[in-house]
Amino acid sequence: MKVALKIWRFDPALGEKALRDYEVDAPEEATLLDVLDIVKDRVDGSLAYRKSCRMMICGSCGMRMDGGAVLACKTRMYEIAEAGHVPVISAMGNLPVIKDLVVDLAPFWEKMRAIQPYLRPGYADPGDTEHVITPAEMDVVHKEALCINCGCCTSECNSLEADPEFLGPAALAKGMRFVGDPRDGHTVERLESYSQEHGIWDCTRCYFCQQRCPKGVDPRDAIAKLGAEAMKHGIDRDMGAKHAKWFVTSAKTTGWLRETELVPKTQGIARSIKEIPFAMQLLKKGKVPPPVPPHVAKDVDQARALYDLVKQQGRDGAAGIVQGERALERIEFVEEQERRKK
Amino acid sequence: MLVVGGGCAGMRAAIEASDLGADVAIVSKIHPVRSHSGAAEGGINAALGNSAEDNPEMHAFDTVKGSDYLGDQDAIEVFTAEAPGDIYQLEHWGCFFTRNEEGKLAQRPFGAAGSPRTIFAADITGHVLIQVLYEQVMKRDIPVYDEFFAWRLVEEDGSCVGVVCWDLVHGGLKLLSGKSVVLATGGAGRLFRATTNAYACTGDGMAMALRAGLPLKDMEFMQFHPTTLYPSGILLTEGCRGEGAYLINSENDRFMAKYAPNAMELASRDVVSRSEQTEIDEGRGVNGSIYLDMRHLGAEKILTRLPGSRELAMTYAGTDPIYDPVLVRPGAHYHMGGVETDNVGATELDGLYAAGEVACVSVHGANRLGGNSLMETITFGRRAGRTAAEQALAKGPGVTAPRSALDDAERDLKTVLDRVEGERPWKIRDELGASMLENFGVFRREEQMTAQIGIIDGLRERYEHVVVEDKGDVFNSDLTQALELGYLLDLAGVMMKAGVARKESRGAHARPHDYPQRDDENFLKHSITYLREGDTELSWKDVRMTRWQPEERKY
Repeated sequence: MKVALKIWRFDPALGEKALRDYEVDAPEEATLLDVLDIVKDRVDGSLAYRKSCRMMICGSCGMRMDGGAVLACKTRMYEIAEAGHVPVISAMGNLPVIKDLVVDLAPFWEKMRAIQPYLRPGYADPGDTEHVITPAEMDVVHKEALCINCGCCTSECNSLEADPEFLGPAALAKGMRFVGDPRDGHTVERLESYSQEHGIWDCTRCYFCQQRCPKGVDPRDAIAKLGAEAMKHGIDRDMGAKHAKWFVTSAKTTGWLRETELVPKTQGIARSIKEIPFAMQLLKKGKVPPPVPPHVAKDVDQARALYDLVKQQGRDGAAGIVQGERALERIEFVEEQERRKK
Repeated sequence: MLVVGGGCAGMRAAIEASDLGADVAIVSKIHPVRSHSGAAEGGINAALGNSAEDNPEMHAFDTVKGSDYLGDQDAIEVFTAEAPGDIYQLEHWGCFFTRNEEGKLAQRPFGAAGSPRTIFAADITGHVLIQVLYEQVMKRDIPVYDEFFAWRLVEEDGSCVGVVCWDLVHGGLKLLSGKSVVLATGGAGRLFRATTNAYACTGDGMAMALRAGLPLKDMEFMQFHPTTLYPSGILLTEGCRGEGAYLINSENDRFMAKYAPNAMELASRDVVSRSEQTEIDEGRGVNGSIYLDMRHLGAEKILTRLPGSRELAMTYAGTDPIYDPVLVRPGAHYHMGGVETDNVGATELDGLYAAGEVACVSVHGANRLGGNSLMETITFGRRAGRTAAEQALAKGPGVTAPRSALDDAERDLKTVLDRVEGERPWKIRDELGASMLENFGVFRREEQMTAQIGIIDGLRERYEHVVVEDKGDVFNSDLTQALELGYLLDLAGVMMKAGVARKESRGAHARPHDYPQRDDENFLKHSITYLREGDTELSWKDVRMTRWQPEERKY
C-alpha cells in the first residue's frame, strides 16, 4: 500500500524546523514505525527517531501523530492510508527536541527520581524467603506496574505545560506503584511528599494522560488513588484535598453538594472574604442556594449507608478505586461477549 | 569499572559492584529500561518448590538434558543452586511477581521442566525485572552513560582497560577507562529476518570481543522459538503453552502427539520448533505457520495470566486468542553461544568479563530451556559483577586507557564517514537476514551452509564500501546502524564456520539430511571460534561433566 506522511523535522545544527512530505510503499501490516524505517532506509538516512523492541514494551518510540502521543510500533497504518489521510508526525510535547522525533527525556527521569522510585522496605524482614502477600493485596498496583516509561502521558499533560515543575503523570503513577505495595514501609512519608506543591493536587484531571497511555496504566486513576490514600491517612492540608473532602462531607450529611460552604471549606475563611463580591453577584442571579436550612436530599440515608459501608469494609483509599476498575473491566468484557454473540 | 550494556545482566552486575564499593558506571546504546531483557515474557526459573516438589538438582538435570548434554555441568549446578536466593532478593527489592493463593510466588509449568518452576509476572516478567533493577540502579545513584554506542574494547599490556564509544546524542567518539569491563550487550537475533529480537540485538559485545581476538563458544547454536507471530516474528510466550495452549496444524490435529507424546506442547524448544517446521514442510501448515490455540483456556485465564500475549496477537496479527487460534512459526530467539567465560564471568582477556546472552558459560549448551535465560542474567550478572569489582578494587589507584586507542578509532571512523559514493547498508542487512533464515534456520544442510559462507563473503565485501548518508553529529543513528551491520556480518562468518564443522545433530543444530544423530564420540565438545587476521579459526573444547552422562533425549 502507499502511505503518505508529513514529518516535522528538526535540524539541531541549523536550529531549523521544517514540515516535510514523504510517500512510500509499505506492506499492509506496517506500523508507523515500519513506515519510518522505510523512509530512513530508502528516502532519507538522516531521519532520527528512537526504536528498539517494536512490540510495545521498551517504550522507545513515543512520538506524536496528528498532535497526540502514540507508540509508533503500536500504530497500524492500514486504515489511515486507506482513508487517504496524511498524518502529521512530530516529536512528543513537554520535552525539549534533540533532533527530528527524538526528545530529551532528562526532565522525565528527573521527576521520576524525585519520588524515590524504589521500594523502601519497613522493618518486616522475611529472611531467606519471599514476603507472603495475597494476590488481592498485590493486585492493587497491577496497572502501575505496567508502565514502560515511554513518556506519552508526559507529552500530553496539560498541568505540566502550565507548570514545568509538576511531578507529572508518569512519576506520580510510579509513586502509587510503591504507596500501594504492601512491602513498602514509607507510605505516609511518600504521601506527605507527593501532596506538596507540584504534586497530586496540581493535576487538573483532564485525563489526557489516561487517554494516551499505550499500556493501560491509567496515570490519572493512579493520581486519584494517591489522593484517596492521602486522605485516608489524614494528609489533607492541600486545598485540593480539602475540596475533595468537602464533597464527601456534603454527600454524607445532606446527600447534596453544599456549594455555599465549598469555598470557605476549601480556601479558608480569610481567602473566602475576598470572594464575597463575586458571591453577591451569584446571589443576585439566584445561583446561590441559601445555606440555612440545609437542603437535605430525600434519600440521604442511602448516601450515609454507602459511606458507612465503604468505611466498614476498609474500601476507602486506593482499594475502592481498584475494585471499581475491576468491576468496570468485568462489565466491559461481558458487553463485548454479548456483542460477539449477536 | 565499566559495565557495557544496561539490560538485566548489566544492571545486576553494576548493582553488585556498587554494593561492594566499586566506582561503577553503566554504558549502554539505549536507556537501560529500553533493553530487550524487558521483552522477556514467560518467566524465570528457580527451584523454589512453591507449586510442587522441586529442588536445584532437578532443575540442574532438566537443564543438562535440555542442553542436549552440551552444557557445562559445574556451571549448571552453581546456577541452579544460587537461583532461589537471587529470586528472593529480587522479591525483597520489590519485584512485582504473580502470587499463588497462599501469597507465595506462583510457579507455572514450562517446556522440558520436571516441575512447575517458572516464577512470573503475568506475561511481562522481563519488564518487571528491568523495572526493579533500574529502580535499584537509581537508588544507588549508579551513573549511566546511555545512548553511548560501544564500538571497540581498549587493551593495554594484555588487559582490558576501557571502551571507545560513539556518543549518540552529542556525536563524537569518547574514550571511557575502567580497571575492569563487563560485557552485557545481549544477543544477535537480528542476524535473522524472522526474529523475536529487538532492533538493538546486533551482537555488539560478541563482535567486539571477537575483533579483540577473544574466542566465541558454540556460535552455531541459535535457538528458534516455536511461537512467534506471523508475519512480524514477535514473541508469544512459552507461558501460553505452560498455561495449557495447544499447537494445531491445518488438519486440526494436535501434532505434538507424534513427536513428544509425553510432554506434548511442553517439550523443549528445539524439539517443538523442529516438529512445527516438519509439519509446515510436509504441507500441513498455513502461510508457513501453524496455529497456537488458547480458546479452551477461557477468557479469565487469558486475561489474568496472558494479557500481554493477547494484546500482541490482537495488535500485530489482528487475532483475539480468546476467540480464535493464532498463526505462529519458529523464529530466531536466543543465542546459546557467545563470549567464552568461566563460572565467575571471566574471559580469556584479563580485566574483561561477560554475562547474560553475550556470554557462553555455558549453562544452555545446545538448547536453552525457557525461563533459564532471565535467571542466567541475574545469577551470572551478579557473579561477573562481583569478580569484576573485586579486580577493580584490588588494582592500584587510577587507570587511563591509552589515547592512541581513541586516535585509531577516530581515523577509522573518519574513513567510513568521509565516503560519499556507494551503497547504503539496508540492502545488505536485509539480504543477510533473509539468507541466514533460508540457509541456517531450524534445519541445516551442508550445501546451504557452504553457499551461505559465499553469500556472507560477498556481503562483507559490499560492506567495505557502504555509505553513511547522515553526516551530522547529533543522533546519527544512520552511522550506528551501519556499525551494527558490521558486527552482524562478523558473527555470521563464525557461526557458519562452526555450523559446517559440527557434523551431527544436537539441540538447536539439526542436520536431518546428512547427520541426523547426536555424535557424542566426536562432538560432545564446544566449538571455539576465533578471528585471526580476517580469517576464522576453529578448535574444540571438552564439556565439563560432573554427574550426568549423556543419555538419549526424549520428551
